[in-house]
Amino acid sequence: MAKIHGLMDVGKRGMAISQSALQTTSHNIANKATEGYSRQRVDVVASTPIGEGRFRIGTGSDIGAISRVNNPWLEKQIEREGTQMAFLQGQSDALQRVETVFNEQTVKGLNNSMSEFFNSFRELSNSPESPVARAMVRDKAKSMIHNFQIMDRQIDSIKSDLNQTITSGVEEVNGLVKEIAQLNQKIQEIEISKDSQANDERDRRDLLVKKLSERVNITYGEDPKTGMINITAGSTAILVAGTSSTGLSTLTTPNNQTQVVYELSKGGTKVDISDQFKKGSLGGAFEFRDGLVNDLKSQMEELAYTIAHEVNKAHAEGYDRYNIQGVNFFSLPQDGSFSLNDLAINKDILDDPSRIAAAARPNAPGDNTVANLIQGLQFKRVMGDGQSTFDDFYNSRVGQVGIATQNAVHSLEVQKNVMDQLHSTRESISGVNLDEEATKMIEYQKAFEASARVIRMADEMFETVLNLKRI
Amino acid sequence: MRVTDKMNKIQVLNNIQKNRTELASLQNQAATMKRVTKPSDDPMASAKILSTRTDSKNLEQFEKNITFAKSFLESTEAALSQVSEALVRAKELAIQGASDTNGGSPREMISSEIAQIYNSVVEISNRRLGDRYIFSGYQTQTPPFNKEGEYAGDDGEIKVQNQKGQYVSMNLTGERIFLGRGMPGDEIQKAPLTVPQSVEELQDYKISEAERAFQNQETLENELATRGPASVGRIQRVGAESADPVTGSQGVNIFSIISGLDTALKSNDRDGIREALEPLDQALNQINLARAEIGGRVNQMNATVDGIERNIVDNKVYNSQLEDADLFQVMTDLNKADTALKGSLETSHKILNMSLLDFLR
Repeated sequence: MAKIHGLMDVGKRGMAISQSALQTTSHNIANKATEGYSRQRVDVVASTPIGEGRFRIGTGSDIGAISRVNNPWLEKQIEREGTQMAFLQGQSDALQRVETVFNEQTVKGLNNSMSEFFNSFRELSNSPESPVARAMVRDKAKSMIHNFQIMDRQIDSIKSDLNQTITSGVEEVNGLVKEIAQLNQKIQEIEISKDSQANDERDRRDLLVKKLSERVNITYGEDPKTGMINITAGSTAILVAGTSSTGLSTLTTPNNQTQVVYELSKGGTKVDISDQFKKGSLGGAFEFRDGLVNDLKSQMEELAYTIAHEVNKAHAEGYDRYNIQGVNFFSLPQDGSFSLNDLAINKDILDDPSRIAAAARPNAPGDNTVANLIQGLQFKRVMGDGQSTFDDFYNSRVGQVGIATQNAVHSLEVQKNVMDQLHSTRESISGVNLDEEATKMIEYQKAFEASARVIRMADEMFETVLNLKRI
Repeated sequence: MRVTDKMNKIQVLNNIQKNRTELASLQNQAATMKRVTKPSDDPMASAKILSTRTDSKNLEQFEKNITFAKSFLESTEAALSQVSEALVRAKELAIQGASDTNGGSPREMISSEIAQIYNSVVEISNRRLGDRYIFSGYQTQTPPFNKEGEYAGDDGEIKVQNQKGQYVSMNLTGERIFLGRGMPGDEIQKAPLTVPQSVEELQDYKISEAERAFQNQETLENELATRGPASVGRIQRVGAESADPVTGSQGVNIFSIISGLDTALKSNDRDGIREALEPLDQALNQINLARAEIGGRVNQMNATVDGIERNIVDNKVYNSQLEDADLFQVMTDLNKADTALKGSLETSHKILNMSLLDFLR
């Protein structure tokens, strides 16, 4: 036989459950915009009934668990695509900057100054006697050098930005792994009792793992016993092991490249693991810096050097206006080390353009044979083992940068769509829907009211019972 | 499908972002009127655009070169036409002077006009264009002829590029025009027609030029030696049949013809005057030959210029096809993108504002 105070108990628990459910609903609503949040649900189960003779009578409800609605496989997929996305994002950002260095579709750049340089020699061959034509050759050479150096400086600044990306990326990684290790510990502590789940801590940890993999490529796995995850960056650097974490550090090489190193043990050997990073923003920075950017830099150096060398070779065969054998037009370092910063016009010519040698024989002010030879260099295939002219070489670099940028932008777009799709799916599963929460709010509020009514009813029943005698 | 508020937000933001990107790129096209404003817009085209730009620049330079060479040749031609007028007058005077009944003007007087003609030919031979002597070969800063008609220039031919890899000489040397050196029949080695295209070729060129100068010097010295001082001031005997007995050349020294005629007139030497008639024809012939050559070169240059101008236009058309935006297309697309953005904004207002809570009051 049911007891009245049992009824009261059902009402009381009903009110408590509704309250918990309302609390969770409020929690969901409050975290509607929280990054990485998964909506939580109160799993209400019917409590164990009691036997009443032949029947079993229900005793109300209990909270089974408060769980988060989350698909771990989806989270893993988002993490994987996210690392690729960060890689592509970094690449396309950097490429777009490189592109502006090589962009002279609407402004004048190196291509223009190169043809002006050779055309100034054509002007000189028209009037080799003219001081004006000579001064023009000098000035056009100056502006060509200037353009080369501007490009070089811009490439360098992109490079140092990439170094900066690596340094700050490593700092972020170190912050992230520390927090993940702390969360590991919390989750372990909370979940030590079988019933409780560390929902919010897990959400946060999932988010941090995703953020981490946006920096570097990682592999990780959860220990099913403790609920802690272990993370390895690249292929050897163990960042998180249970509750302990190890950070990465950076190192600048003599040629001004920032590398990432990992300490095998506290104060132990440091190993350069930069080439293990293939994805994430750090992977992107490494690949881009050590690949295209370095290539472009050395290719521009090669172009400038070859122009200077070829012009020098021809110029040294000629005679200037003082009937002296030509000097080197460009001053080049003797030891073979060449950087665009060193590129300059020979000081003698800079001071006195009459030292420009246009003639093939002395005492012949009208002789333009050498000027003709030098301007003809523009059409000679001297770059890339006689494959291309200076212009071809430079133009194909522009094309190359264009293709790379186009590809990067396109793949980023594709990847963005993939990510959007995944995020949508995740939101569809784990996101908070206000309508839904509002409905739940009404539902639990009503349930709360009804439970309260149950208690009042039980109270009235008591009253009735107690008043039995008085009638 | 379960749709949450964040999904709506992401979708709305993405769509607006897409519309705005599209709009920005179209606006950029409309503002610059260019389809390709950065290499990634069309990598192949952007490399092509740069190379056609270089081509156009070079073509414009070649056109400038040709204009320059043409003006040089035209001044040469103007000078030569004056020389030829002077020679015609000298011949008239020679015919007059050769006749004993020459209308009464004594040979002495004719001689003074011939002396004038000599001076004017010397003056013409020292003609300049700007600050360059047009007849001195490479010695453009040195007057090629002195009063005695001695040559101070050289045989350099100033070559100017008129097309990719092609050169044309823009000068005729005074040596050849006034002294007849290097005309068919003599042993003078002419300047090469080619321009060295590499340092190796330049080195060979320098050696062969030095050899050539040496040999020409020798030829010249031998010539003087065989002829001897007795022949100085004498009229050279020339003509296809009557080539110079010593050198076998068909060229004549215009200065010595005129000064010889002058001497003959002064000394009242009728035979001497008559002997001058044929060389004068020869000299005229020599000048006309040079003028014909100039005409030929100018014609060739004109043809080249026509070709270059056509090329420049072709290049411009080609470049325009590569890089210019189709304005109608851009404007149409711009309108479309604009409408799309407005649509996104309007619907986003509706979608983001919707909530069950609004209906639960």
